[in-house]
Amino acid sequence: MSSLGRILLVEDDPKDVELTLTALEEYNLANEVVVARDGEEALDYLYYRGNYLRRAGENPAVLLLDLKLPKVNGLEVLQQIKSDQNLKLIPVVILTSSHEEKDMVASYKLGVNAYVVKPVDFHEFVNAIKELGIFWAVINEPPPGSIKKR
Amino acid sequence: MLDCWRPMNEASYSAPPDQPQSLRRRHAFLRYLLAPLSVAIATFGALGVDRLHVRDVEVPFFLFSLALTSWYGGAGPAAIGLLLSVLSFDYFFVEPIYSLNITSSDLPYFFIFTAFALLVTWFSAIRRRVEMDLRQARDRLQIEVAERTQQASLLNLTHDTIFVRDMSDIITYWNRGAQELYGWTAEEAVGKRSHDLLRTLFPAPIEAINRELLVKGRWEGELSHTKRDGAQLIVSGRWALQRDDRAQPVAVLETNNDITERKRRELEVSGLNEKLGERTAELESINKELEAFAYSISHDLRAPLRHMAGYTQLLKRNTAGALNEKSQRYVAMILESSQKMGNLIDDLLAFSRIGRAETHKTMVSLDQLVQEAISEAGQDVPERKIVWKVAALPSCLGDRSMLRLALVNLIANAVKFTRTRDQAEIEIGCQEQSPNQIVLFVKDNGVGFDMKYVNKLFGVFQRLHPAEAFEGTGIGLATVQRIVHRHGGRIWADGAVGDGATFYFSLPRSQGVTA
Repeated sequence: MSSLGRILLVEDDPKDVELTLTALEEYNLANEVVVARDGEEALDYLYYRGNYLRRAGENPAVLLLDLKLPKVNGLEVLQQIKSDQNLKLIPVVILTSSHEEKDMVASYKLGVNAYVVKPVDFHEFVNAIKELGIFWAVINEPPPGSIKKR
Repeated sequence: MLDCWRPMNEASYSAPPDQPQSLRRRHAFLRYLLAPLSVAIATFGALGVDRLHVRDVEVPFFLFSLALTSWYGGAGPAAIGLLLSVLSFDYFFVEPIYSLNITSSDLPYFFIFTAFALLVTWFSAIRRRVEMDLRQARDRLQIEVAERTQQASLLNLTHDTIFVRDMSDIITYWNRGAQELYGWTAEEAVGKRSHDLLRTLFPAPIEAINRELLVKGRWEGELSHTKRDGAQLIVSGRWALQRDDRAQPVAVLETNNDITERKRRELEVSGLNEKLGERTAELESINKELEAFAYSISHDLRAPLRHMAGYTQLLKRNTAGALNEKSQRYVAMILESSQKMGNLIDDLLAFSRIGRAETHKTMVSLDQLVQEAISEAGQDVPERKIVWKVAALPSCLGDRSMLRLALVNLIANAVKFTRTRDQAEIEIGCQEQSPNQIVLFVKDNGVGFDMKYVNKLFGVFQRLHPAEAFEGTGIGLATVQRIVHRHGGRIWADGAVGDGATFYFSLPRSQGVTA
């Protein structure tokens, strides 16, 4: 692992956050994870607002985005990112409980980079998170202007 | 005596074109015969009277004969009669008698006679013409009356309600249809004011209606009338204006057909439509609620389940070796159950989605679909020995992904329930292929089922086998049935315990591809 990109995990459920972080930890991918608890916080992070007023100035390598979020939901966050010239290059992965076709169609229409339904089985879940983490944070070459730990 | 002459007179003035030539010639001959005849009678009459020593009465005789001749014979015979009268008068009554010589002193007398005769002829001709005109007018009138009577009796034949009113609304004609509809006889209705009698309610101000009637010559619209028995009617009125020779409006012919029943039904239908609209809106809102419910299940119920499974898995990992066998089994049971519930939720959501999703119908090759379904349903059992018998299948109009799901379910069932057989035989074919529908079947030699429970096969969560023997959520066949129903088809099954099962389903062959 030559470099590790920063992961922005947008997830409101603390248990899901814990399980996701646990899964990422198993593969030493958890160090560079920033967790936003709702859509607004995610946008704050991306726009250097609120708690993130003075954060280091680069975009995350990937955004793991839940759909059902308080305040600003996942689709709205996705829409905002993909309509912003400075943010639209950030890879966004929807990570959701739902099999709903209309969510999937809406996400792809907005330009999502991947759509993953969280498996009930923990093994499968861990595998999915691992694959995602490795692919997006390690294998994938993120667009210029992303945070990468050398 | 006059009447017996009539045919000849008519012939003399206006010979009917259809009268034979010989007859017309005979009439002319008789007409001209009248001149000498009447002059001869006048001469004999005058001579007879002269014999009785009554003097100077010959002139009236001749004038009378001339009048008769011109009356019945016309101008030609009258001229001849005049000539003959002058000659006869000169010969028999003017000195010298029995000679045609005329003395100059008699000339004025002849002139006066001739003038007088001409005057009589002229008067007679005028009178005759007047009488002819009158007679012709009478005949025309008679013909017209006959025509009108016939028309009126024709109007009586129609079932339509027709009456005529003059420009002050007084009814002048009332047909049988009007009597039948409104209840008043023609005798009762004629002479009454129509709008008063029928208590007409107009759809627009009467002035506007009358204006349209005068401008266009006709008016159409729906009116409300009241019958003799007080019942109210809705009629579809069609009015036509009659004008006389000088284009003055004289009468209005009203054809009013009873549409009360039709109106009532229209109202009923529109009421039903309204109710239907309400019901549709209600169903739509229920459907929306269901969708929200399913969405919520999909998101909110799966999350805690995932957490349960996740933490249990972590617990299992962290306590590896520390738990006794029993506790390890408990952990395994928790994991198994959460996995099962995950499957149940997924199947239930898929089932509900089939009911809610719109169908996108295209021409689907069932051959291809069955091959796909076989490879999907058979992929988990590479070690099994399965003999596939797949007949050539037609194409049909349907929602590809739904039909695929149905076939996958049926074929997966066949694979599952033949598990106990050393060699499974699964046959997929087409039982019927008519212009109206196709019937497909999936037949296996598996454990089969008891026909006693055939009606339970397609129910949600209905299972005919213990979960230990054959896993499953009991939603598969319910899903297949729902898909078949959404395609307008039917599904049924045939089987016996230990002797395999056959599932049939029909798909209607509708014409035209809808997107």
